[in-house]
Parts: sequence; structure tokens; C-alpha cells
Amino acid sequence: MPPPGDLVARAQAGDQTAFRELYRQHAGRVYALCLRLTGDARDAEERTQDVFVRLWDKLRSFRGESAFSSWLHRLAVNVVLNERRTTGRRERRVMPAEDPDNVVGAQHPAPLQNSTEGLRIDLERAIAELPDGAREVFVLYDIEGYGHGEIAQLVGIAEGTSKAQLFRARRLLREKLER
Amino acid sequence: MNEQELLDAVGRLPKSLEPPRDLWPDIAARIAGQTRVGRSWQRRWYWVPLAAAAVWVALMIGRAMGTTAYDVTALAGRPLIGTTRLAASGRLRVGDWLQTDDSSRALIAVGRIGQVEVRPDTRVQLVVASANEHRLALARGTIDAKVDAVPRLFFVETPAGTAIDLGCAYTLETDSLGKGLLHVTGGEVEFQTGRRSSRVPLGALMQIRPAAGPGMPYVEDAPAPLVRALIAFDFEKGRARAMRNILALARPQDALSLWHLLQRVAPALRGVVYDRLATLVPPPPGVTRRAAIALESRALEGYWTKIQRIHFRIMVLRGVRDIDPRTGLAR
Repeated sequence: MPPPGDLVARAQAGDQTAFRELYRQHAGRVYALCLRLTGDARDAEERTQDVFVRLWDKLRSFRGESAFSSWLHRLAVNVVLNERRTTGRRERRVMPAEDPDNVVGAQHPAPLQNSTEGLRIDLERAIAELPDGAREVFVLYDIEGYGHGEIAQLVGIAEGTSKAQLFRARRLLREKLER
Repeated sequence: MNEQELLDAVGRLPKSLEPPRDLWPDIAARIAGQTRVGRSWQRRWYWVPLAAAAVWVALMIGRAMGTTAYDVTALAGRPLIGTTRLAASGRLRVGDWLQTDDSSRALIAVGRIGQVEVRPDTRVQLVVASANEHRLALARGTIDAKVDAVPRLFFVETPAGTAIDLGCAYTLETDSLGKGLLHVTGGEVEFQTGRRSSRVPLGALMQIRPAAGPGMPYVEDAPAPLVRALIAFDFEKGRARAMRNILALARPQDALSLWHLLQRVAPALRGVVYDRLATLVPPPPGVTRRAAIALESRALEGYWTKIQRIHFRIMVLRGVRDIDPRTGLAR
């Protein structure tokens, strides 16, 4: 596997083979982020594509001042949040029973081998069912490690709102998982 | 389940999940389509003068009206003002946010004094628009500002500090935390965070970091090891080693970096920095070692004026005359 810096440099020069390899290396991380932020498998696929299309456009602006993976992660967060802000295209996240494939956690239908795996899928599903605002703050804070100040900037809310949404998300999740 | 159990479970969630299908073919097709669209757009050369004409009209209207809002022209795509998509032009009022996505750009006519191009993926707010003060807040993204006005009339706030126009053209970029870069292409810009400030003349760049604010400026052709040492001194650990590297690597044309370094090292180290600076660019008459080490404003200003003058001559006469970076005279 070529070193990441070499791949990035080649992709910056317009090498699509190198860019494809970057996609292979980072698609899982980006998809996981998109899936949790949107709470919807189809939206996550679209957003993942958006992220890599935008990455192709913006790659030349990457100067190596941070790790490429961190820079890409940030780009992915912006793509997902911008999409929600600009189009308002958000639908109810609790999928209807007749469309179970869209529920987060169901697209990896491995049998539940133990209670830990079961809890993981239950948790993913519960996160997907959170209200949009609470889910975004929860994913960014508790899963991705962003601070409230940064989330406030990214999402376009007050820092206090971010804290309140996190509190709400954790409470809702505990309630869902205790059922 | 208590909160700690929840957080433990969250901590065990995988950071990576493979997409259920290969998304690459769709991505590759979209990239290819985008390239074709881009070329088609480039062939429509007539949009360039049309956009320029629209900007001129917007500027004229702004002058005539003397209003407290700015005219905005969409240069590409459909930027947002608040929640309204901009079709061709619109007004940015105090408190309004202007936002571009990855494919849109906009041009703001800053009252009667200049213009700001808002690049893609940028979010900027108009904070003050008056005859005595023009102030934008750049939350994230990149702007290109061109201002023709008296110093300290146009300000751009970023999460890490404020860029103060001293009569100039510059590109300013920042992320939402405040990490960014300032590149001055005309005149001079001061960047201030609390009590810390940097002066960046044309042909120089400066790194910006959250909390720390402005780094030391460096010239466009500064050697990469020197730039790394400047960044290490301003934002990382190992300042003593970084300082030694800066002093060893600096050339006469890097005097503007050393002038800033003089004010950022511990008092006991100022003598070393001053002596190196004086070796590279001798101080002007009236500037003494004692006064400079004491950071007396008159001495610092006198030295800066000389450094700035030499730097300016190097920049504007580049390719025309060979300027001695120690004296500013033609060789």
C-alpha cells in the first residue's frame, strides 16, 4: 500500500487511480460518519458520494498542515451538515416496518453472536431514531469527539443549545435501550 | 442503563463501516461529469465581463445610496443570504450571514471602499457597515479582500482573531475553530488576537491558530525549514530549539520574521535575536540596541519602517532590479 502522503500528492496532481485508492482507504470511515449523522442508509450513501466528489474538487487546497484523515473527516462533517441546512431535506428517521433495510444497523445483517454485538446494533438503531438536532450533537460529541464550541459553529447553534441537545440525546438513548 | 454504561457502549462502536455496495462507480461518473460541465462553463467566457459589469453597477448603487448594507453579486452557483438563495444579486444587511457551498461564489461590495470575494464553502456575516467602520465575521472558509481606504477602516473577525486592513489586498482562510492562513498580496494587514498581533506586508504569509492567534509572518519564498521553525516556535513545544533554527536559517529578506521574534522571546533572549537581526539588516539611525531590546515603540517602529521599505522594494522591483535585501538599494 503506498504511503498516504504519496497517494494524496498523486491525487492532487489529477491521478484518478490514486484518488480511487484514497476512496478505498477512507470510504468506511466516511460512510460510518455519514450513516450516523443522517440516520439513514440511503442518505449516507449519497452523502458519502458527495464527500468524495467534493474531496476531488478541494484536494488541491490540502496543504498537509493536518493529517489527511482529519482533514477529510472535517470535510465530511461539513458536507453532511451543509446538505441538511441548505436543502432541509430531512425525513422522518424512524423507518417504516416495510422498509427494514434502511434502518441503521440492518445493512450488516450478521447474526447476533453475543450480547455486545446486539447492544451495538440496538445502539446504532437508537441513535438513528433520535431527533435530527440531538443526533447530530450526540454523534459529533460522544462518537467523534468534537467540543461544544466547535459543534455550535458547525451546526449553527448556540453552545448552550449543543449541551442541551447532548443531554436530551443521552436521556433518549438510555430510555430506548432500557425498553 | 446508566450514563456511564451508555458511554462505554458508545466507545465500543466501530469507527469504520463499509458501505453496503461499492460507491466508487457513481463517484467516478460524477467526477467525470463535473469535469465536462466545468469545461463547458469555462468556454462561456462572456460571463466574466458580465459579472464584472454587475459588480461595477452594484458598487455604483452602493456609493449613491450610502447605505448600511452591502450589495452582493453571485459569481457562481447560488449562495445563501440567511435562508434565501441568491439568484444574481442581493443585499447583505447587518447581522445577515452569507454562505456559499462547494460550487458557489459571491462578491460583496464593501461600501465605497472595496470588495470581498467569498470563495466556495465559506460562511461570512456582516457585523458593522458604517462610514467609520466596516466589519465582517468570517466563521469559516476563504475570502479575497481588496480595500482602498485609510488604515483601520475594514476589519474581518475570525474565530482566532481580527484582520485589520492597513490599505491592502489579501486572502484570508480559516476553519471554524480558527486555524487559518493569511496571505497578503498588496499593502499591509495587521492581525490581532488579544494583546498579540502580527503585521503582514504584501508578499508575506502568516499562519493563524485557535487561542494562539497570529503566528510570525514570513515571505512567500521563505525556505521551508524556516517556515517550520516559525510554526514550531509559535504553536508547538520546543521553542528554544525552534528559536535557534530561526536564527540560523533567517536570511536578510526574512528580517520581518525576526522583527516579530524579537517581541516574542523571553527578555533574556532578546539580545541574541536583536544581534542576528542587526547582522542581517542593520538598524536605521536612531535605533539603539538597548531601546530595541526594551521594546520601546519608537525603536521598534523605526526598525519596522526600514524592514518594510526594503521588503516593499524587493517585491515591487522583483524581476526588474536586483535589490540588496540588507539595504534596499539596487545592486
